[in-house]
Amino acid sequence: MKTLLTLLLTAASLPAATYYLTVTGLGGEPDYEQHFAMWAKDIDKALKPAPDSKVETLINATRDQVRAALDRIARQAQPQDAFVLMLIGHGSFDGYEYKINLPGPDLTASELATLLDRIPATRQLVVDMTSSSGGAIEFLRKPNRVVIAATKNGTEKNATVFARYWVEALSDPAADSDKNDVVSALEAFRFADKKTIAFYESQNRLATEHAVLEDTGKGDGVRAPSPENGEGMLAAQFPLLRIGAVAAAAKDPAKLQLLARKEQLEQQIDKLKYDKAAIPPAEYKKQLGALLLDLARTQEALDK
Amino acid sequence: MRLLLAILCAAAALPAQTLQQAESLWKQHRYEESKAAFEALVAAHPRNAEYRVRFGQLFLERFNAPEAAKLFNEALEIQPKQADALLGLALVAADGFEAQATHLAQRALEADPHLVAAQELLARLALEDNDPSRAAAEAHKALDMSANATQAKAILATIDWLNDRTATPWDPHNGPAYETAARIFVLNRRYEEGIQLFRKAIAAQPDLWSAHSQLGINLMRLGHEQEARAELELCYANEYRDAATVNTLRLMDSYKNFVTYKTDRTILRLHKKEAELLHPYFEAEMLRALSTYDKKYGYHLDRPVQVEVYPDHEDFAVRTMGMPGLGALGVTFGYVVAMDSPSGRPPGTFHWASTMWHELSHVYVLNMTNFRVPRWFTEGLAVHEETAVSPEWGDRLDPHVIMAIKDKKLLPVADLDRGFVRPEYPTQVVVSYFEAGRMCDYINREWGWPKLLAMIHDFAGGASTPAVIEKELGVKPEEFDKRFLAALDAETKKTVDGFDDWRTGLKKVAAEAKAHSYEDMIRDASAIRDIYPDYVEAGNVYQFLADAYLAQGDKKAASAELERYAKVGGRSPDTLKQLATLQEEAGNRKEAAEVLDRLNYINPVDEDLHRRLGDLWLSLGNTAGAIREYQAVLAKSPTDPAASHFNLAKAYRTANRPDAAKDELLLSLEAAPGFRPAQKMLLELSK
Repeated sequence: MKTLLTLLLTAASLPAATYYLTVTGLGGEPDYEQHFAMWAKDIDKALKPAPDSKVETLINATRDQVRAALDRIARQAQPQDAFVLMLIGHGSFDGYEYKINLPGPDLTASELATLLDRIPATRQLVVDMTSSSGGAIEFLRKPNRVVIAATKNGTEKNATVFARYWVEALSDPAADSDKNDVVSALEAFRFADKKTIAFYESQNRLATEHAVLEDTGKGDGVRAPSPENGEGMLAAQFPLLRIGAVAAAAKDPAKLQLLARKEQLEQQIDKLKYDKAAIPPAEYKKQLGALLLDLARTQEALDK
Repeated sequence: MRLLLAILCAAAALPAQTLQQAESLWKQHRYEESKAAFEALVAAHPRNAEYRVRFGQLFLERFNAPEAAKLFNEALEIQPKQADALLGLALVAADGFEAQATHLAQRALEADPHLVAAQELLARLALEDNDPSRAAAEAHKALDMSANATQAKAILATIDWLNDRTATPWDPHNGPAYETAARIFVLNRRYEEGIQLFRKAIAAQPDLWSAHSQLGINLMRLGHEQEARAELELCYANEYRDAATVNTLRLMDSYKNFVTYKTDRTILRLHKKEAELLHPYFEAEMLRALSTYDKKYGYHLDRPVQVEVYPDHEDFAVRTMGMPGLGALGVTFGYVVAMDSPSGRPPGTFHWASTMWHELSHVYVLNMTNFRVPRWFTEGLAVHEETAVSPEWGDRLDPHVIMAIKDKKLLPVADLDRGFVRPEYPTQVVVSYFEAGRMCDYINREWGWPKLLAMIHDFAGGASTPAVIEKELGVKPEEFDKRFLAALDAETKKTVDGFDDWRTGLKKVAAEAKAHSYEDMIRDASAIRDIYPDYVEAGNVYQFLADAYLAQGDKKAASAELERYAKVGGRSPDTLKQLATLQEEAGNRKEAAEVLDRLNYINPVDEDLHRRLGDLWLSLGNTAGAIREYQAVLAKSPTDPAASHFNLAKAYRTANRPDAAKDELLLSLEAAPGFRPAQKMLLELSK
C-alpha cells in the first residue's frame, strides 16, 4: 500500500499505541453465548502479541463495565494513539435508537458515541458486529473514525455471522491482501464481508446481513468502499493488526533512501495499474514486470 | 302480481343465459370474462353442482389445477356422486402422477357408467403405468360405450406404436388423441417419436396449443432450441401460457448467462459465474465416464453428449416439469443431460459426480434400447453404476427404505415401474430407486454383467420385464423376487431388525454429547455404530465418536472413526476436512489429499479445499494436481489473489514451466507489489 511509508514513518517517530476493546453482549441462548465468547477470546489472542497493543476483552459485559473500560481508555490514551472497539452480540433498533443487548440495561448508540468522543485517540475504529448494527452508524460516525457495521441498516435483525469472519481476518494471512504485513481495517472488512457472502451462498440462504463501512464522518455506510463513493480511504490507512516487524526498517536512517525509492516504485506501479486499460497488454506486462523487478531488488536491499 | 311473475321469469331465465354467456366466452377464448361469468353464476346458485364443475373444467383447461380441484370438491359436497366432478379430480390427480387418479376415475364411472371420458382415462392411466394389456382392455370398454371414443383409440394405437407396429387399425385421426399418444411416448423417454406425434397432432388441429407447447418443450429437451423457441413463443402469443411454457421460455432467455465447452465427445454448458471453476472437473469426469461406459456397454455413442449444469435449482426444475418421479438431481433426454450444480445445493447433500455417472448411464441404456426400456431397469442400472465407480458413491440405505423393507412395501420386479411413475406413498420413488439399484446389483453379483447387457438387448427388442427375467436369468419373475428379497433381507437384516434400538441408542448418545459425558458416549456409540453403519447424515455415530475421542485427546481413534465415516460414504465437507486435518497432523499427507480430493466430487465450490489440496499435491509431487487445484482457487475469485497466484507460480515452477510461473508471479505482485515470497521468486527466475 502506497501509504506504507507514511505509516512506517509515523510509527517510527511517534511512540503510538493501539487500544483494543472487545465487548460481547447477551447471547440469549447457550449456542450464541458460547460463540460470542469464543470469537472474543480469539480476537484477544490474535491482538495481544502485536507490538504496542493494549488489549482488553469483556465477555458478557454489563453497561457499567463497558462504561468503566471506555473511561479507563479515555484517561490513558494519547492523541497519537489509535483506538479500536469491537462489539459482538445481538443488537436492536426501534426506528430511532440502536442498542446493544447487554446483561442488565442495554447500551444505546448515542451513549456509546458520547463515551467514544471522550477518548483522545485521534484515529478510531468501531466494528459493530451485532444484528441491527447498521442502525448505529448515524450515531457513531465522525471525522477520523471508521465505523463498520455487520448490517446495512437497523432493520436487518437476524443474528449475524460477520464476527466469525472478522475473527478470521485477524488470524488468516490471506486478509493481508497487499502483503505489506499490516492488516488494515479496510482489508479486514473486505475479507470478512467476502466470507460472509460466501457463507450465505454456500448454505443456499438469502443473506440477512450486509456489512457496510463508513469513514467520512457523514455517510450512511457503503457495501463496497472505493474512491468512486469516497469511502474507505481512512480505513485503508488504519492498521488494525501488524503482522511482521515492518517498523524496523524505518528506524534505520541509512535505509530511508531505499524506502523512498520503494515508495516511488509503488506509486509508479499504482499509476501503471490505473492506466492499464489504455496500454496494450504486452506493453503493460513489460512495464509492470520491469517495475516489479526493480521493487523486488529494492526490497531485497532493504532486507539486508 | 304481474310484476312478481315477471321477476320470477327473469330469475328463471338468468342462469340459462348466464351459463350460455360463460360458455360462449370460454369458446371465444375470452377466459377472464368467462371466469367472471362463472363466478357470478356460482355465487347466484350456491347449490348448483354442475355450474361448479364447468367452472372447474375451465380452470383445469387454463392451468389452475388447485382452483379446479377446489371447485370439483365443492361440487361433490353438494352432490356426492357428481360424475364429472369425480372425473375432474381424477384428471387433476393424473396430471400430478398421483396414485389416486385411477380410484377417482373408477368412482366417476360408478357414478355414471356412460361417462366415456372416465373409461378413457382409466385406459390412459393403465398405459402410463406400463400395463398395456389392462390399458387395451379399458380402451375396448370405452369403445364399447362409444365407437367414436378417440382417446380410447389413441391408447390402442399407442400400444401398437410403442411396439413398432406402425400400421394400426386404431389410428384416431384426431389432434388431442395424437397428443395423448405423444405424451405417453415422452413418458417412455421416446422423445423423438413423441415429437413426431406432437407434430401430427398439430397438423390435425393447428390451434392445439397444448401440443405446440409440448412440442417446444421436447424439442428444447433434445437441444433443438431454435424451433423450440418458435413453438413456445407461438403458444405465448396465443395466450397459452401455462407454467411449463412460460418457465421454459424464461430458461431459454437465461442461456445467455451460460458458457459452452466442447470436445469431440462432450458439450458442457455451465453458468458463467462458475464455469471456469467447474469446467476442468466436469469435463474430465464426463470423458472418464464415457470412456468407461464405451467399454462396459460395448457401445459407442454416435454424437457428443450434452451436459447442462444449473446452479439455480428452479431452472433445473423447469427441465423436469411434467415428468413423473423425483427428477430431483438430474434428468436425461436422449443425448442431453440436465443436472443441478453442486453450488445449487447445501454442501454435502449432493454428489455431483455420482449424479453425472447415473445420468450418463441412462444415455447409453436409452440409446442402446432405442428408448424401449422399462423405467425400473434403466434407473436400477444407473443406481448400480454409481457405486460401481466407487463404493462410497451413491446413496446409502436410508430410514425410508428401512421402513419400506420392514413393512414389506417393496414391489415385485414386474410392477416396479409403478413405484416410479405413480407412487402410492410419499417416499415410494426413493424406495423404488433403491430397490431397482439393488436388483441390478444382485443380478450382477449372481449372474454377472453379461446378463445385464443381454437384458438391455432384450429390452431393445421390445420384450417385457417378465419375459426378460425368465429368458436371461432362467427363473420366473416371482422366483426372482423371492430370491432377491431373501438376499436383501440377509444384507439388511441387522439394520432393519435393530433400527428401533439404534434410534433409541442414538438419542442417548446425543444427550451424552450435550452433557460432555465422553466415556459414556464412546461406550454407547460404539455399541450401536455397526447396527446401521450406512447412517452418515447429520448427528451420525462416527462424528459423535470422533468428537468424544478428540475431547479425550485421542486423535488416532478420532481419525479412525472419521475414516470409517468416509469409507461408508459420508459426505459432510466439514467432517471430511476434519479427517484430512487429523491425517495431515499424523503425517499421512497422501491419505489427507485423497480425502480432500473426494470433496471435489461433492463440494468443489470451496476455496479453502482447493488451496489445501493444492498444497498437499505440491508437497507430494503431484504438480498436475496442484496446478488444477490452484487454478480452481483463482477461478473462485479468492480472498487472497496475491497468494493464490503465487501458489500457482510455485506449481508451474516445479513443473518446469518458468514462463507460466513468471506470468503468475506478475499477477501476484500486481495484486500485492510488496509480497516478499513472490518478489524472491521473481528475482530467482530473473537471474
